[in-house]
Amino acid sequence: MTHPSELISAYLDGELTEREHSSLIDHLGKCGRCSVELAETQRVRSAVRSLPVLELPRGIVPEGDAVIIPLHKHKGLWAGVAAAVVAAVIAIAALVTPEPGSVSIDELNSRFGARVSLDPAFGPAKVPVPSVGFSE
Amino acid sequence: MVVVLVLGPATAALAVELDELLEQSRSASYTAEQIISCSTPDGVRDGLVRIEQNGGELRLTSAVDDDVEVATGAGTWSVSREGGLVSEASVTSGSEKDEPLYTVEDGRRVQFLGRNAMSYRLVRDGELRAELVFDDATRALVQATTYAGEDVYCQRRFVTFDPEAPELEVTAMVEDPTVPSAVEDSSLPIEVAGFERLDHYVDDDGVEFAYYSDGFFSFALFETPSKVTLDDGVSIDLDSGRYEREFTAGQVSYAWETREGGVALVGDLPPDLHEEVLAAMPAPDHRGLFRRWWRSLFG
Repeated sequence: MTHPSELISAYLDGELTEREHSSLIDHLGKCGRCSVELAETQRVRSAVRSLPVLELPRGIVPEGDAVIIPLHKHKGLWAGVAAAVVAAVIAIAALVTPEPGSVSIDELNSRFGARVSLDPAFGPAKVPVPSVGFSE
Repeated sequence: MVVVLVLGPATAALAVELDELLEQSRSASYTAEQIISCSTPDGVRDGLVRIEQNGGELRLTSAVDDDVEVATGAGTWSVSREGGLVSEASVTSGSEKDEPLYTVEDGRRVQFLGRNAMSYRLVRDGELRAELVFDDATRALVQATTYAGEDVYCQRRFVTFDPEAPELEVTAMVEDPTVPSAVEDSSLPIEVAGFERLDHYVDDDGVEFAYYSDGFFSFALFETPSKVTLDDGVSIDLDSGRYEREFTAGQVSYAWETREGGVALVGDLPPDLHEEVLAAMPAPDHRGLFRRWWRSLFG
């Protein structure tokens, strides 16, 4: 049996073609070695992602020459006035119009999860899994 | 025992057998890693989760983000991130569909991860909708494939499996669970696309929650006083209007605005049923800036 190790990394990056994807998924169901490799690779990635990010001191990375772009002024008095009026109208509308609050889908997800857990067909095939995908 | 999948005498024995397996699978004990792979209209959605189940307690941990943990048991549901509880919910009752739509057409021996297993096919209205594979020794549901038309929609498959019972801390029960009130006069449809409305609640915040099931797939419809936000939603236009949609591994969410507020649909129903279901729900109606302005000034 050929073990498609190179596909596992691409799979976790979401870079497989449809054909490669289904071929790998089929293979994983039959091959314990590759399944373990997938889980291990994912664990290593999670561990690396959890490391703190360090900022490099200035001067280590050469900075490119700054390019100064002149700012063109005078676009016309009336255009400026019109823009100011439009901006003022939008600002007033925004101030007097209360933005309705919003409900997060995660909160609703939780309620769906509670209800579906009473479902007779509930189990690993039914359980909603919030935000755990790696190719979304 | 609750029979949820029986239809017709020819398949009754298989359905009862499957029903018993589903019930036993809920109390099976094991540790596994499960791949969830879904082909959705918005692209592939994959996930890898670690499952630990023991005595009806189920704990899922994301293999991508170690901070996310989902625990469920006895109608209680909780999600934790970074060690802290971020949401929890509890419901106190449930009901079951009386007239199931599914027939069980197959019950054959298969091998899964080198172990003996049984495979069953669930058919609805003549269409194959799901294939379930149960491990013989533990009764764990080790693979579930769902279909949209002739195509595979989602597959949840164990890629590692340890039949030893894991040690689990008992899920903390919600101390003061919100007990929503039943909505007596619901304006939502009783039945749509084979999905039956099983219950409809409203809570103290004015959020209405209706639960629909066809015996296998299910979804919830929420009506909220304010807009529902999807983090990575895409806009789609259907005959019934414009919606925001987001697929995750194994689940779909739709959100839209109506004259009264926000509406969201969350569920695991396959994509070929979405449009019919959405068309029967409150129609999208985007409240413009000036309408909101007018309402805020004059009610």
